[in-house]
Amino acid sequence: MRLTSDAIMVQQKAKGEALKRFFSNHPYLISFAVLAVIATIINPDYLTYTSLSTLLKQSAIKGVIALGMTLVIISGNIDLSVGAIVALVSGLGVVVFNTTESIVVTLLFCSLFGSILGWINGMFITKGRIAAFIVTLATMSAYRSIIVQIGQGGPFNVDMNVLSAITTVVNGRTLGVPHLALIFVFLAVAMHLLMSQTKFGRYVYAVGSNEEAARLTGINVHRVKIITFCIIGALSGISAFLLIGRLTSITAVNAGIFFELDAIAAVAIGGAAMSGGRGRIAGTFLGAIMLQMIEGILIAAAIPPFLNGLVKGIIILLAVLFQNKKSD
Amino acid sequence: MSFPVFINDGHPMNLIMRNIVKSFGATRALKGVDFTVTDAEVHGLLGENGAGKSTLMNILGGTYNQNSGDIIIDGKDCSTLDTNTSFSLGIRFIHQELNLVNDLMAYENLFLGREKTSQYGRLDKLAMIQASTAVFKRMNVDIDPLTEVRDLDTSQKQLVEIARALLFDCKLIIMDEPTTALTNKEISNLFDIIRSLKNEGVSVIYISHKMPELFEICDSYTVFRDGCFIQSGAIKDIDEHIATELLVGRKIDSDEVVKPANTNSSVMDINALSCKPYFRDVSFSLKKGEVLAITGLFGDGRGELAECLFGARHTTDGEILINGKVSKHRRIKDAIDASIAMIPRNRKERSIIPDMSIQDNLSMASFSNNGNSLFVRKPQERERFSRCQKNMNIKSGHPDNLITSLSGGNQQKVIFSRWLELDSDILILDNPTQGIDVGAKFQIYHLINQLSEQSKSCILFSSEFPEIYQVADRCLVMYMGQVNTILSREELTEMNVMYYATGSNLEVKNAINQ
Repeated sequence: MRLTSDAIMVQQKAKGEALKRFFSNHPYLISFAVLAVIATIINPDYLTYTSLSTLLKQSAIKGVIALGMTLVIISGNIDLSVGAIVALVSGLGVVVFNTTESIVVTLLFCSLFGSILGWINGMFITKGRIAAFIVTLATMSAYRSIIVQIGQGGPFNVDMNVLSAITTVVNGRTLGVPHLALIFVFLAVAMHLLMSQTKFGRYVYAVGSNEEAARLTGINVHRVKIITFCIIGALSGISAFLLIGRLTSITAVNAGIFFELDAIAAVAIGGAAMSGGRGRIAGTFLGAIMLQMIEGILIAAAIPPFLNGLVKGIIILLAVLFQNKKSD
Repeated sequence: MSFPVFINDGHPMNLIMRNIVKSFGATRALKGVDFTVTDAEVHGLLGENGAGKSTLMNILGGTYNQNSGDIIIDGKDCSTLDTNTSFSLGIRFIHQELNLVNDLMAYENLFLGREKTSQYGRLDKLAMIQASTAVFKRMNVDIDPLTEVRDLDTSQKQLVEIARALLFDCKLIIMDEPTTALTNKEISNLFDIIRSLKNEGVSVIYISHKMPELFEICDSYTVFRDGCFIQSGAIKDIDEHIATELLVGRKIDSDEVVKPANTNSSVMDINALSCKPYFRDVSFSLKKGEVLAITGLFGDGRGELAECLFGARHTTDGEILINGKVSKHRRIKDAIDASIAMIPRNRKERSIIPDMSIQDNLSMASFSNNGNSLFVRKPQERERFSRCQKNMNIKSGHPDNLITSLSGGNQQKVIFSRWLELDSDILILDNPTQGIDVGAKFQIYHLINQLSEQSKSCILFSSEFPEIYQVADRCLVMYMGQVNTILSREELTEMNVMYYATGSNLEVKNAINQ
């Protein structure tokens, strides 16, 4: 059948529209591409399999938390306590592992205890009607203080006789792929499915976009918010477990320090709206990797590592500024 | 800096507004109206919602500037007023909504923006507190100037708002529905103040929907309808029937809609439902397949009643029976489970989820209320959308586009579809045609009539008579938080609705009692 020029125009317009919609839904792809090009220019070997899997491995521990932060930010909240949760859970996790000598029990403990800490945040925010910023600022101080007291300032060391068990699980490779990378990818896919394929995912978006409208469609807004905090708590717990395997010695004072900053940065770079309602797991996943790439680029460009924080701060501001521009 | 207090020259203000036109975008709110206040008089400004009363008063208060037309005050051309000139001319505007800062004390609110200061810019608190005490004493109200405004109840807040106008000398006070939250005693106090102001040479423009008040306090009146000047004169020359006729106009000549009386059994019974301080002792029953309209004027508690019927607000008393059984109605989910759906008022704030696609917006209520499945089924969603798009004639682009890409009417059709998908027996429609074009409005009326043919029952909350007339079997009229009357289809005329909504019948009763 011969298409008239009008029909072709309409088709092209539809295609153009679909393309436009795709990129406005996935803005982080563009920044990722730009960054990849810069990285490759600096280091032509950058996009090899080894360096990519290293990148994934390095970004995993903070990236796992950023996945949870995505949910919390999309629902219109924020969680500043994740670093403290990592410290508290990992410190006690070492004790649990030394006592039980079981990887499974330790992992279960870490994720469950983490989600309980998150649940406490959620309860204060919803039932107590306190702003998430304040609640998690308070628990950020409280959670870390508990573990510093328990450890009396000293480190929590994994016993030598069980040490290899946890390090092989966390730092090992299967078919040449680092386990950390596998875990990160697995959790990212799981969270992506949760947000895109389930009703719960829709509720999170709805609550963040228009809480009153969400309430009036019969969504239990409080429950949705509490669950997002349980999820970020559980993911922080898993991150704590990975940290134990990675470091084998946890110092309560600085374990997980600034993790909240990196997690929020990854979400911001990933294109989520800080006011809630918009954002994607895929964006955060790439956002976490991009943060790691930036660190690599800074090293390659011989920028003093002390300026890392400055660069990260600027990047967060730029990412959000770009977001605001777009929504205007 | 002390604010330049205008000099009272002892003469009453002579205000002439001529041929005032004001447009907001495409809507012409005022189509060339005249308005005159001479001598010290209490001038009642009458008109239905949207007649242009508040717009004109906002022009006089300096909030808006008119597009064309003259304002002449005491013989001088004052056509470009801003809020400060308006203030220094001695015009005070008591707004309908409360404009108080809850965190400040009563006296701080009174002087907000016009604080008294000492020579070096320090706040002269003592002087301000004394002046506030004096004003409250003059008004015969018992408010401590040092109370935080948040601790005052609504009627006290309204009194503070009024006190603000009396704080400095003035010549003309605009009162826009000043009594919505006041008790009878406070109203009669206010009227005493108005009378003494009049004796001092101050004029009052009094806007109210309540006929008894207008006839008690006003000397003259002006009626607006649809942004046009209708009539002006002395209040003693008219009575409330004539006033209502003037408000409504006689041009209601839409098609006669005939509806046979509904004789079905009731599906919903409301017994003495109260939600203080918004409404109290509301009782009615809703029959199967019936459309019951609930109407009234600003401040009648309708909006809160709608929320209570949907479990979105807690009631303080009374019960809701669905098919003869008491429903808990503690949460929205209880109401939905009792087969009630609600289209909320204020689509933009309370219905639309702006970051979501058209399709997801449509499916939202089905997600939260249908079945236990955890997952979203894309094909099912797409099928639902196409079906609704056809049924409701929704004009839209790709279903994955954002809901905000649609026009108001089409957005509202999506919201209707959202709830119709639940197939509930009772629909609460709270101002469902707010801000949508006429074509979409009539589609919605048609839909409501279709629903009632399918034995669904609807409660329509609306303030527009033509809309009520199109669909209602009966019409419940509220007045100050209570049911004033329930009109049958035969009694349903705009005159009757206005008569009961303004509480005119109560005035007659009072007159008989006296």
